[in-house]
Amino acid sequence: MSEAQTKSKIHVDKVNKSYGENHVLRDISLDINQNEVVVMIGPSGSGKSTFLRMLNQLEKPDNGTIIVDGFDISEKATDINKVRENIGMVFQNFNLFNNYTVLENIMLAPVELGKMDKAAAEKKARELLDTVGLVDKADVSVNSLSGGQKQRVAIARALAMEPDVMLFDEPTSALDPEMVGDVLEVMKNLADSGMTMIIVTHEMGFAKQVADRVVFFESGKIQESGSPEQVFNQPKNERLQEFLSKVMHA
Amino acid sequence: MFKKYLLGLASITLFFTFISTVNAAEPNYTITTDATYAPFTFQDKHSNYVGIEQETMKAIAKREGFTYTMKPMSFNSAAQLVSNGQADGIIAGMSITPERKEVYDFSTPYYKTGVAWIVKKDSKIKSLKELKGQTVALKTGTAASEYGKSLQSKYGFKVKYFNDTDTMYNDVVVGNSVATFEDMPVIQYAIKNGMALKVMNAANPGNAGWYGFAVEKGKNKALLQSFNRGFAAIKKDGTYNKIVTKYLGATQSTFSGSKKDNGSILGILRSNQSALLKGLWQTIELTFIAILLASIWGILLGVLGVSEYKWLRAVSTTIIYVFRGLPLMVLAFFIYIGLPGVTGVKIPAFTAGIITLILNEGAYTAAFVRGGFEAVDRGQMEAARSLGLPYNTAMRKVIMPQGLRIMVPSFINQFIITLKDTSILSAIGLLELTQTGTLIVARNSQGFRVWAIIAIIYLVIITLLTWLSNWIEKKLK
Repeated sequence: MSEAQTKSKIHVDKVNKSYGENHVLRDISLDINQNEVVVMIGPSGSGKSTFLRMLNQLEKPDNGTIIVDGFDISEKATDINKVRENIGMVFQNFNLFNNYTVLENIMLAPVELGKMDKAAAEKKARELLDTVGLVDKADVSVNSLSGGQKQRVAIARALAMEPDVMLFDEPTSALDPEMVGDVLEVMKNLADSGMTMIIVTHEMGFAKQVADRVVFFESGKIQESGSPEQVFNQPKNERLQEFLSKVMHA
Repeated sequence: MFKKYLLGLASITLFFTFISTVNAAEPNYTITTDATYAPFTFQDKHSNYVGIEQETMKAIAKREGFTYTMKPMSFNSAAQLVSNGQADGIIAGMSITPERKEVYDFSTPYYKTGVAWIVKKDSKIKSLKELKGQTVALKTGTAASEYGKSLQSKYGFKVKYFNDTDTMYNDVVVGNSVATFEDMPVIQYAIKNGMALKVMNAANPGNAGWYGFAVEKGKNKALLQSFNRGFAAIKKDGTYNKIVTKYLGATQSTFSGSKKDNGSILGILRSNQSALLKGLWQTIELTFIAILLASIWGILLGVLGVSEYKWLRAVSTTIIYVFRGLPLMVLAFFIYIGLPGVTGVKIPAFTAGIITLILNEGAYTAAFVRGGFEAVDRGQMEAARSLGLPYNTAMRKVIMPQGLRIMVPSFINQFIITLKDTSILSAIGLLELTQTGTLIVARNSQGFRVWAIIAIIYLVIITLLTWLSNWIEKKLK
């Protein structure tokens, strides 16, 4: 990895993506720095989730460049599995492995990928469960957990690989309202610890609180981006104003 | 885990190759015959094949000093195996016709024959004209059926085909068909043994001709010469006449057990115990080997079907499409009778049967295995991949365990279908349960009782198989 490339943790240049006639991302360019927390907001279908999923190549761009940690992941020769080990992802629907216990979910990747031996992985898993407040659930089946608990396990599972970037795809959208707080708190602690985070969310209050930068997506484009102060209090873009007036009154 | 499977598969394949090599290495002739053709060939009460043809062949071989393996099956298969080189000769009441001379070389004729037309004993039918619009039963591939077929347009009857003599007779006796055509000596012998039929043209047989022993045209000249020499000798010294008198002078029950034995289910069970047990064992053997190998093959194909590479998925889809689309019997005939004609490699019937089942049941298994993997929520794969797990590891550790659980009921269902499908392999002469039933009925004409016994045996093994599967399912959970 050359010095020049380390300036930004993630570098995205002129990325496009279409599903048939539907042009979901148009010429998106964005740089994200180490330790930065970027929150992406925007109406449903604006392309923010698709963009997020491109950062670990769950979606492939039609063209453009995506460089993560100095690896050009839009390049075919890049070993995407190696890059992914360094990028954790948390999904709206948790996607915990149904055939394993909580502990096994967290231990699977580090052990399978030879990052840790079983004993080390288990120790790590229990520590992580402690930080998300679920140490007593280590040996239960994931199907017996509530949504909020599942999402906290999912965060622990992603952290077990010791990534230096975390992607969150609407992590609280599938949760009952009383569960949201616990998950946001875990995320806030993670942000405070200096993790580079890219978060797609509809939780505006949370965005204001933790974001270093807020990015507004609409119609497959970044319409505006800036500090939470700028975006929420002095929005310039008309569509952003319209969007904020809708979500803030809700 | 999969390496182990592959190793297992390889060793089993080797095992079968070994079996077939051993069979192929036997230094003698393979002769085929029609298993249900009294008085020429039929089973006695010890399940040995006896009859005019069997004793004639034995006498000739002894005199000429060659050995042979007799393979009883349906006439049609018996004839085809010789014409494609899988067997060396056929002695099966085969009439010498100009058409057959194109394909076979015939020996000197050994028995005079002609075609009879036959109706039920108490039938009111008096002439062929009255067959108009009615159904006539014929046996596939025989000269008698050719003769019957040649009269079809003239007399306007419908034709229904059978694979063995006895089922054909019974179709007329129970009234499904009104008439049949058969070689004169065979039907006369059957009537003598109590078959409720009558010959309408005893004095005037159609297409009078001769039975001959046959080899593939241009091949096996030594065998044919031996047969001719030996036959001339046993005819001259009276051996042949003795054989003919022995069988025509006695009823079939002299050889195949008393009538009393056939009057009850218990009696039939007792007198056919060893044949039934052998058939049952063959069915069980076929079923279990096929279930094991078809499951392994099906899972491999199913895994290919969800591969990350498009071309592997295409290979899997094509194989599933082809082998799910072929009727089991067509596949069995193709492998057993079709392929050796082209490749020249003989395949034992058992191996051919197993290969047929693996390909057919494996394709069905692959289809539901692929479906089971696809039914696992997409998010599971995405989560596994997002952690950096390679596709294959994600499949093995996350998707497959969940998919296999979804598939368990489909597996049990497929096991039962496999068991039932083994009965179709009777068509290539495998002596499994169904073929055993056919042979017993050919001997004792007790269709209802024998088929009831066979049906109950199938139900019992299916019940046991279901219990076993359910037990395994519980263990897995």
